[in-house]
Amino acid sequence: MSNAATAKEPVAVVGVGQTKHVAARRDVSIAGLVREAAQRALADAELTWAEIDAVVIGKAPDFFEGVMMPELYLADALGAVGKPMLRVHTAGSVGGSTALVAANLVAARVHRTVLTLAFEKQSESNAMWGLSLPIPFQQPLLAGAGGFFAPHVRAYMRRTGAPDAIGSLVAYKDRRNALKNPYAHLHEHDLTLEKVQSSPMLWDPIRYSETCPSSDGACAMVLTDRAGAARAPRPPAWVHGGAMRSEPTLFAGKDFVSPQAGKDCAADVYRQAGITDPRRQIDAVEMYVPFSWYEPMWLENLGFAAEGEGWKLTESGATALDGDLPVNPSGGVLSTNPIGASGMLRFAEAALQVRGQAGEHQVDGARRALGHAYGGGAQFFSMWLVGAEAPVG
Amino acid sequence: MSEVLTAPLVVEFPFTRSLGPVQGAFLTGLRERTVLGIRARDGRVVVPPVEYDPVTADELRDLVEVAPTGTVTTWAWNPSPRRGQPLTTPFAWVLVRLDGADTALLHALAAPAPEAVRTGMRVRIRWAVARTGAITDIACFEPADGAAAEYQVTSHSGEFADPVTGITAPARLDYAYAPGGAQSRYIQALAERKTVGERCPACRKVYVPPRGACPTCGVATDEQVEVGPRGTVTTFCIVNIKARNLDIEVPYVYAHIALDGADLALHARIGGIPYDQVRMGLRVEPVWTEGARFPDHYRPAGEPDADYDSYKELI
Repeated sequence: MSNAATAKEPVAVVGVGQTKHVAARRDVSIAGLVREAAQRALADAELTWAEIDAVVIGKAPDFFEGVMMPELYLADALGAVGKPMLRVHTAGSVGGSTALVAANLVAARVHRTVLTLAFEKQSESNAMWGLSLPIPFQQPLLAGAGGFFAPHVRAYMRRTGAPDAIGSLVAYKDRRNALKNPYAHLHEHDLTLEKVQSSPMLWDPIRYSETCPSSDGACAMVLTDRAGAARAPRPPAWVHGGAMRSEPTLFAGKDFVSPQAGKDCAADVYRQAGITDPRRQIDAVEMYVPFSWYEPMWLENLGFAAEGEGWKLTESGATALDGDLPVNPSGGVLSTNPIGASGMLRFAEAALQVRGQAGEHQVDGARRALGHAYGGGAQFFSMWLVGAEAPVG
Repeated sequence: MSEVLTAPLVVEFPFTRSLGPVQGAFLTGLRERTVLGIRARDGRVVVPPVEYDPVTADELRDLVEVAPTGTVTTWAWNPSPRRGQPLTTPFAWVLVRLDGADTALLHALAAPAPEAVRTGMRVRIRWAVARTGAITDIACFEPADGAAAEYQVTSHSGEFADPVTGITAPARLDYAYAPGGAQSRYIQALAERKTVGERCPACRKVYVPPRGACPTCGVATDEQVEVGPRGTVTTFCIVNIKARNLDIEVPYVYAHIALDGADLALHARIGGIPYDQVRMGLRVEPVWTEGARFPDHYRPAGEPDADYDSYKELI
């Protein structure tokens, strides 16, 4: 039996589309919003609806917008009638895991060309209602979303001795990067580092300017096989590795600062992609940083820095757009956060980088990029590594 | 065996929806007693109108007006209407193909008894008196005389003065909530101002609050262990913004506290000390108020701070 018959089909990203992310898209229904991103991905791939074999869609909990099983109603808008349509749900990491499910369908040769899409219309959703119902007998939550994350940030600072200003450096960098990304939600032209550092302290140690916005937006990608990639009008991004890991939200021994599931997920992706030195071998990273301090935390969790050293990488400027390891050239979650789509945006932006299609926020000569997403109280992780060259084998 | 608790849980929220051009025209039309459908690529008239073609996925914008009369294509009797349904007395759920349409619309039919309803019967819209641009602008359908006439749809711009662009869709869920045996035991012990966790028989870790099983080992926890009352602040944040529904003056400290004997931290407020003097390692004890189920907050216990190494595994 030849290897070609048993090996996985190589998977290529040939189309990427996203909406201009904003606080509220009152001019469109949810169907209209997802349609926009899907059509842009099809246009990028120069494909029609009829050339799509299956649709894989993801979003955060149904309770957010209160539309139960929205994939049913969205089938028309996504050309999914008469085709397989799958819904994925893994909290904040869902955009990433949705793309991976789509990629696996191509890799397994179940389908040749798959449209994958994720969205959130946060202006019409209520995350508080969706996530924190007032459960009888239980103590009410004592802090908002930031209150969940801020103690872990403090734990990171204590563990590593990181100076207080690191978080503001990340926020300033990402918001400046967003100015180069026409699709980013926040375009704060007047922002200065001083303004970030003097913005209100919401959940000490997290300041207002170090938190993600709430956005309406959608992101879509067209994934295809080797033959599909050969027909693509623009350079594809090739999937070199992809993995998901989960762990309980709470358990004795859980490391919230650097969760084991995140480390295991990265190790799996690197093994698949033949990465032994991520800092040197990876040219750009789009990681899920909803609060600024998560950049140094994830730099360690994903193996770009030794434990306790992530903040030094940030402080040195290495993660800036012109640094040797640009992190979130698109502006990241700190500049754009349609929750369900945020993970897919990381994956899609990584693909744009290696396709050389990132526009003004293009990292020069990016050949390999990592997309990373997490969610559910550091419970779910999904990552992929994409490259400009087809995988060997 | 202690009693398992149960309580009603009602969650309600008024969701808002942006309608977009097609749903917006449809609902604004209802307000004006005009029913709009949309012409699909294959020529069929779809009512209610859809934004995208169900066969070709093309964007559809070719609106047409259909008749307020139609034919029942199928039905089901609803003997006991529930809260929020179109009629308060027994009625029939019907699929109605309005004259001029090729698809059927779901709504309610006012009828005295199931014997008065049949597939193929003629019906007409009974409009609500006060109309806002919602599907409830059709109060219900009612029986009508006369056979189906050939109806010629007319095209419609979908434009109206003062168009409806969004609606509010209230959601309400009624649950009976039971926290289960482990949580019930924990809550009942709190009534005696004791914090009781449960130990995993495999890894020996003590869970507080207990959930009946160890998430790591996947086995039931059944050995109760009293922990605390004192504990150590493992980490915390200072909350400077007031949460809705919370009557706590800001700033305050929201802390993770590892009670003595527990293997993971629970979350609570710290009081009895200026917020900017709270630190990791601070030793604390609970402060109870009369009639409350949980400690109101924790305050300094007056002991030396715990050594970082003693709690760093619990962060």
